[in-house]
Amino acid sequence: MVHDLVKEFAGGVLAVNHVSLTIQEGQFTTLLGPSGCGKTTTLNCIAGLEQPDGGRITVGGAVLTDVAKGVILPPERRNLGMVFQSYALWPHMTVFDNLAFGLKLHRVPGAEIRTRIGEALDLVGLANLEKRYPFQLSGGQQQRVALARAVVAQPRVLLLDEPLSNLDAKVREQARFWLREFQQRLGITTVYVTHDQGEALAISDMVAVMSQGHLLQFAPPKDVYERPATRFVADFIGQTSFLEGTIERASADTVDVRLARSGRVLTASAFAASTKPVVGKAATLAVRSEKIRVGATAESEANVLPARIKSFVYVGSAYEYIFETSEGDLRASSPVQVDGVETRLGLPPEALVLLADEPAGR
Amino acid sequence: MAPILYQSVLDRPLYDADRQPTLGNFTRVLSSAEFWSTLGTTLVFGLITTVLAVVIGTVFAVLLTRTDIPTRGVLNSFVLVPFYVSPLVLAFAWAIVYGPSGFVTLFVRANLGLPTWNLYSIGGMALVSSVYYVPYTYLYSTGSLALTDPQLEDAGRIAGAGPVRTLLSVTLPLLRPALAYGTLLTVVSAIELLSIPLVLGSPVGIQVLATYLYKLGLTGATTDFGGVAAVAVLMLIAITGLVWAQTRVTGQERRFVTVGGKGTRGRVLRLGNLGWPFAAVLWLYVVFGIAIPLVGILAQSATAFLSPLINPFTVLTSANYDVILGPNGYTSSIVNSLIVSVVGGAVGIVFIALCALIVYRSDFPGRKVVQYLALYPRAVPGLIVGVGFLWAFLLIPGLGGIRNTVFALMIAFVMRFIPIGFGAVGPSILRISNELDRAARVAGAGWLSTMWTILLPLLRPALLSGFVLLFISMLKEYSSALFLFARGSEVIGTTMIELWRQGNSGPVAALSAIQLAMTFIVLIVGQRLVGARLHG
Repeated sequence: MVHDLVKEFAGGVLAVNHVSLTIQEGQFTTLLGPSGCGKTTTLNCIAGLEQPDGGRITVGGAVLTDVAKGVILPPERRNLGMVFQSYALWPHMTVFDNLAFGLKLHRVPGAEIRTRIGEALDLVGLANLEKRYPFQLSGGQQQRVALARAVVAQPRVLLLDEPLSNLDAKVREQARFWLREFQQRLGITTVYVTHDQGEALAISDMVAVMSQGHLLQFAPPKDVYERPATRFVADFIGQTSFLEGTIERASADTVDVRLARSGRVLTASAFAASTKPVVGKAATLAVRSEKIRVGATAESEANVLPARIKSFVYVGSAYEYIFETSEGDLRASSPVQVDGVETRLGLPPEALVLLADEPAGR
Repeated sequence: MAPILYQSVLDRPLYDADRQPTLGNFTRVLSSAEFWSTLGTTLVFGLITTVLAVVIGTVFAVLLTRTDIPTRGVLNSFVLVPFYVSPLVLAFAWAIVYGPSGFVTLFVRANLGLPTWNLYSIGGMALVSSVYYVPYTYLYSTGSLALTDPQLEDAGRIAGAGPVRTLLSVTLPLLRPALAYGTLLTVVSAIELLSIPLVLGSPVGIQVLATYLYKLGLTGATTDFGGVAAVAVLMLIAITGLVWAQTRVTGQERRFVTVGGKGTRGRVLRLGNLGWPFAAVLWLYVVFGIAIPLVGILAQSATAFLSPLINPFTVLTSANYDVILGPNGYTSSIVNSLIVSVVGGAVGIVFIALCALIVYRSDFPGRKVVQYLALYPRAVPGLIVGVGFLWAFLLIPGLGGIRNTVFALMIAFVMRFIPIGFGAVGPSILRISNELDRAARVAGAGWLSTMWTILLPLLRPALLSGFVLLFISMLKEYSSALFLFARGSEVIGTTMIELWRQGNSGPVAALSAIQLAMTFIVLIVGQRLVGARLHG
């Protein structure tokens, strides 16, 4: 749906650098990345609020933007729904008027406006609040009204720009599940923008990780977490340590990597579909801290690394360790308490992820 | 402005068929000793005025917003009074009370036997002008202070600084951008100020550029068209430069303020025992600078003769009001002023709203130009606006019929006060999150319908405040009317100057009182009915 999107900011900086995404109908897709990565710009380009400098955006068969052909539909002609970070409820209108605004513009008859607004408010569980003004609602209620307003005109796509970021941590976690359920009940194609990795993993069908205008990985949450494509993705999501080495042997589903400092060989069996291992090439392995087996014995493990505790903290569910090893510091989290300072770390092949190269910086 | 530039290089009046291009006007003006001495006087006058106004304004702003000084609320209302009063009225009021034969002057000399002062001097003019301009600095500084995080001051106290030390080394430095802006605004305004030098300086031959222009254009036996244009062009160049500097500073100020983040309220510095002495000093200024002169002008308007030697209650009279309101009086100027202010204010605010929405809320490619055009008239002194429009009406065929009517004044006033209204409406637009427009666009509304259904309703309070501000500004305006008015289209300001020149201080006082009453009625009604806020 989004093809080769380019957005250039003043000074020649590419805010969105040739990003292409194909989103399946009815799916919940999240654009994830740190601030300034281009995710909101991408969303705004889809909405028509910003004009890209190149690329094509289509929904179903309809062309919304095709820069090469000079087609850029204004936002009001795209039939999309959008929830903004601040909710952007019009403060001088009641909840009812807020919802009716778009329907009136679409020339929906009065009686139908009533029933549709009733349905939409029922859907978000705020049936009796039609007459309230936005300032009389709590943050969570405002967010639901904004959502109801975004879907009441039955848009082709629902766009969400960090809609949960203004909620308290507790409410936020509930809202996450609720939002997912809401989207599935409507079956509406949704594009969601967030910088919160936990949110992205919990809520999405597909996650698009972005950095500095580049799309780094576009995959289901589980793949993004367990087979991150690049060092940035691995680092941004979860707690990850890295091991440097050279590829010694490669087969269809495993690679052996000789570590740079100790010369030890580790077998890795996880990599993203896009990563192509080449023998003799420098390689980086990523390992999640909770997948490291602390206190492993040589017999039970394919890959073992001797280690020494540098520091640790107790966080309730586990111990968070920083280990010193021949390959540098490794972070691990494990319920196992280590006796003394020396131990061995088991690194299961399926937990070692071979990373692809980062795209050239901008 | 074009007619003025054109006239400045012509040897005869611009409607004369035999006109020839020349640079003679400039050489004549620049080689006259009178011009240079006038320029010197203007600079000295502007400098003293600015220093006094900025210092007093800053002291008031810091003490009233950042400390628990007693009677803050009342002081705040009083210090702003000159903002709503015509400088002409202020000048009359001071002359009546502190002039060579003023009430207080005579009282000090005759009853107390003390030496007195001379108000009709550069220092006197500057003192009165500074009272008029204190609200400028005061408003900018309080605005900036309201956005300053009080924790910065708390940190100063905890680090060991006393309250006064904290104000001096933490609060004041944070005010620098606002002060720079207030200073430049005061300099620009003081250079073009006509009324106070006219009333207090002209009788003793002290002349500034504005009064020089007035003399060249209006009181000489024959109008020196080329000279007027040349002086006007020179003033324009100087003031444009200053305004350019001012916009540079404002740009920085805005950045400074927005980064400052959330408005914080509440905690202020405790002055303790110092509170009352500080308050006493401020009250001294308010009472002698503002209250006594205004009471004086009201007293003058209701008495036949105002002097400390006679009990005023024995000479009470309504004769002064009869002169103004009587059958052969000056009611037409009051009516004209009202028409110009109401219609002009309404037309002005609609125009301003349109410009501001285009500038801040559209992709219209020329929006920067619109913004510049909307703000530029601030650089143009009122007298020059008047000259420019007068000559434009003379030159442009079809506009001749407007000349000598109130419409001529209305057009000039609207253009003159667009920057003020723009300054009041613009920030309100910026305060409305643009996600609100974006939401409307995504919901299916085009630009026009978004502006009409979302932004205009949200801006209503700001637009009403803007209207009140324009109304009051137009009601007290006189300088741009001086060249434009004719019999039948006179306004309160021009009539006051005429009466004063005839030496009728009683009727002038009465007319001033009427103008003051109209201003404050509108102000109070505006604040009560629509919650209009003119500042802050």
